[in-house]
Amino acid sequence: MADTGDLLQGTLDMLILKTLQRGALHGYAVAEAIHMRSDDALRVEEGALYPALHRLELRGLLAAEWGVSENNRRAKYYKLTATGRKYLEAELAHWNRMVAAIGRVIQPA
Amino acid sequence: MAFEWMHTIWFRLKALFRRKQFDRDLHDEIAFHLSKREESIRKDARDGVRSDKAPLLDARRQFGNTTRIAETTREMWSFPRLETFWQDIRYSFRVMRNNPGFTVVAVLTLGLGIGVNAGVFSILNAAALRPLPVPRAGEVVSIAQILSGKYSRNVHGEGSLVSYVEYKNYRDQSHVLEGLAAYEPFQEATLGGKNSQRLVGQLTSCNYFDVLHVRPELGRGFIGSECAAPGETAVVVLSDKVWRGVFDADPAIVGQTIRLNRTSFTVIGIGPSGFDGTEFTETQFWVPVTMQKAVDPLRTRLSDDNMSWLMLLGRVQPGVRIEQVRAELGVIAARADQSHPGRQTRILVQRASMFDRPEERPYIFAAGGVVLAAVGLVLLVVCANLANLFLARVSARTKEMSIRLTLGAGRMRLVRQIVTESLLIALMGGVVGTILAWWSAEGIVKFVASQAPKDEIGAIKVSVAPDWRVLVFALGVSILTCLAFGLAPALRASKANLNEALKSGEAAGPGGRRTKGFSGRVLVGVQVAFSMILLLAAGLLLRGLYHAQSIEPAFEMRGTAVVTLDLAEEGYDGPRAATFHRELRRRLTSLPGVDGVAAGWATPLGTNWSSESFSIPGTQVSGQVETNEISPGFFSLLGIPIVRGRDFTDADAAGGGHVVIITEAAARKFWPGEDPIGKALLGFGRKDISVVGVARDANISHLTESHPVYVFLPAGKDEQIVWKVLVHNSLGFASTATEIRDTVRGLDPELLVNIAPLEANLEILRTPSRIVAIVAGVLGILALALASLGVYGMVSCAVGRRTREIGIRMALGAGGGNVKRLIVRQAMWPVVIGILIGIVGCAAVSKILSVLLFGLSAHDPIAFLSVPVFLFVVALVACYLPARRAVRVDPMVVLRYE
Repeated sequence: MADTGDLLQGTLDMLILKTLQRGALHGYAVAEAIHMRSDDALRVEEGALYPALHRLELRGLLAAEWGVSENNRRAKYYKLTATGRKYLEAELAHWNRMVAAIGRVIQPA
Repeated sequence: MAFEWMHTIWFRLKALFRRKQFDRDLHDEIAFHLSKREESIRKDARDGVRSDKAPLLDARRQFGNTTRIAETTREMWSFPRLETFWQDIRYSFRVMRNNPGFTVVAVLTLGLGIGVNAGVFSILNAAALRPLPVPRAGEVVSIAQILSGKYSRNVHGEGSLVSYVEYKNYRDQSHVLEGLAAYEPFQEATLGGKNSQRLVGQLTSCNYFDVLHVRPELGRGFIGSECAAPGETAVVVLSDKVWRGVFDADPAIVGQTIRLNRTSFTVIGIGPSGFDGTEFTETQFWVPVTMQKAVDPLRTRLSDDNMSWLMLLGRVQPGVRIEQVRAELGVIAARADQSHPGRQTRILVQRASMFDRPEERPYIFAAGGVVLAAVGLVLLVVCANLANLFLARVSARTKEMSIRLTLGAGRMRLVRQIVTESLLIALMGGVVGTILAWWSAEGIVKFVASQAPKDEIGAIKVSVAPDWRVLVFALGVSILTCLAFGLAPALRASKANLNEALKSGEAAGPGGRRTKGFSGRVLVGVQVAFSMILLLAAGLLLRGLYHAQSIEPAFEMRGTAVVTLDLAEEGYDGPRAATFHRELRRRLTSLPGVDGVAAGWATPLGTNWSSESFSIPGTQVSGQVETNEISPGFFSLLGIPIVRGRDFTDADAAGGGHVVIITEAAARKFWPGEDPIGKALLGFGRKDISVVGVARDANISHLTESHPVYVFLPAGKDEQIVWKVLVHNSLGFASTATEIRDTVRGLDPELLVNIAPLEANLEILRTPSRIVAIVAGVLGILALALASLGVYGMVSCAVGRRTREIGIRMALGAGGGNVKRLIVRQAMWPVVIGILIGIVGCAAVSKILSVLLFGLSAHDPIAFLSVPVFLFVVALVACYLPARRAVRVDPMVVLRYE
């Protein structure tokens, strides 16, 4: 993700969790969703998504199961766990506080 | 976040064990992503003119480096350290499989070394560390009194035991103890009836089983009222072993009566199986402490307030520390001291084990320490040997190491690899050693138990089955040995000089030329020194044993039988015993071949002895002297002449025993230069004593003491109760044994008779030194074999390394003899230094063996000369064999090879 406008690791985690908030998705769909919703501004090197997904699964924030995709292929679906949901809420709150703080600093008085 | 952490570990473990599945899943997941992306690219560019492969390549480009990403992801799931460790282990196993000979030798020698150590430790553990075999044994403490200051005290067993009154004081006044039990450790009794035999049991306070939380498997334990009054409740609890062995496990025995020392006792319970009491010997029955006089009619221990005879075991209340118990009992003891001015009592409290009396414990630990030191030396020799083997192997593997270093392996990684290898060998040796320990400890205990006299205290029952302490010990020793023999080679390996090693191709050793082989030589010196100490100790002990075998006592032992009877246990009083002995002597004398019958409390060189205080009126001479109460004819039976005066007569005993016979040494000591006949003595609990005879000096008390200061007294009626009878038969011992037994049976069929040759006393004396000499000899030979192997290995290695040098020397005209001498001389240096250090070391510590040497000097010149020479010759041979190989080198071959 070096060439993608330095996405901090924590931020990528948050984006993934946020994307999965509305339901289970496979890795490709997560990547697509992040592209679309950011109007291509956040262009993740797609592969970088997978270590992150696995790390979150390992921490118990995501649960994964194998299912069948739209065109009948085996795909791994990720969804938020209860812990993940709580974690996301905390992260978002923290993020918003930070953005607001930064905004206040850089806004002309 | 403890949950998250556990979750992570759990997932990683799952991934570890289902590695293939996990890899396949990851691969599928990435493939799925790539194909979706390829599809979408294809869709976007449907009209374009792209080749078939392009969308896939684009998809790959967008995805990034698949291999790296897969690897990063995999790392999330794994334990990277653990996996390198696992790799090291697998690599080590491959290395070991490739050198099976090396591995087997290393594991076996190490197993032997660890085995003897763990074996000795497990015996020590069983004797003095393992808690008692009772529920919640951690709460049970043993309590002892150490008296000091001005006091006099009657002692039965050890002085640290307590009297019945003291016990009741502690029990009733203590608040920190849940319960306090007391028992007399060893009480012999003769079981009457058709199963007549001698049993060893305990007199216990009636709360004994309750305090220990031991529930009889049949019937019940004692209740408090059974200890209420002396001599009233004759009840007994039998051990499970006696119940099965003597009474055929008959459940109806509970409620019946048995006879112990001619008193009838009602059996009220059978102890649980596997419970043999709280001593290191088997306890076969328990009776209330208040029955003391019924079991042992001659003694009045129960009512004697100043008698040490009861062992204390207490159970502390939960949460109470040992210091609190000590403090509280100390206060109670101090109160008791007030009625004994000048006496101070110190209380010892410790977690209870099989050997708790403060008189025994230091002895156990000292003996155990000496033996542990000896087997520790063997282990050190093993380690030095293995270190040498490893060093040699590391030299041989220099090339492998260099290649790995060149290919970029870190030095730490190499060190870790070698340490892993030695750790594996150490652990395998530890496993072999633990098995060996289990087996050898059991054997040693059986051997010692079979040699020990069991009449008076019962059969030794120390259980040496390994528990966690032994396992921890073996593991600890394994890891220590691994460090001892693995670390130095590992560090050496990592210092490999890349250029030199790769250039010269052959095993040019790591490190600089100068230090080459130096650590090997030090290790050989160390091995030789340790082996020297062990061999010298073994040599000394063997010399001592030979010395003991060759000492002939200055009296006649052959053809004499010692007859031990249990008159006291059978309730004989003095007059009855005197009548019995008079009649027994008359009947024995008439047996064919019997030409002498005498009796005494102590038999010559026997295990029991006593000393009494005395003084000589009108002189400064006073002190303690060994005594024996004997019958007339004692000296003539033993072939000891009376050199002055006369022997005892029956009238001496009847007249109150106011005469004594002394040894020549005693006469010289008491009245130097004077005639002792008719001189007076004070003491011995009698009045108006005068000397009537002087017996020639003979080593009747200690084998090595040929001039003992010794006083013989005529035995009064009461003293005859405990007599042992000596019967001399000119036809030899064997022909009389049955007839003696029949004669005794004819007088009293209930008596237990034990008949042994007098020479057996000599065997008992020689046994400990024989055991120790055998053990030290085996260990010494083991160490010698290992050390000579080490010398051999060092020289072979040096010869191999110096092939080129030897070739050049020989090409320049050096003779084979010269080269051999050079090699042997260089190799023998560390050996000689090791021998010297060993001699000095052994001379410094050999004093501790002196009790086993029978008067032989601890610096016996024969042992100290012959054993080093022996070791020197063995080492010389070990040097010479590989040196001979060196001169077979063909100079041309070596030079051409270069």
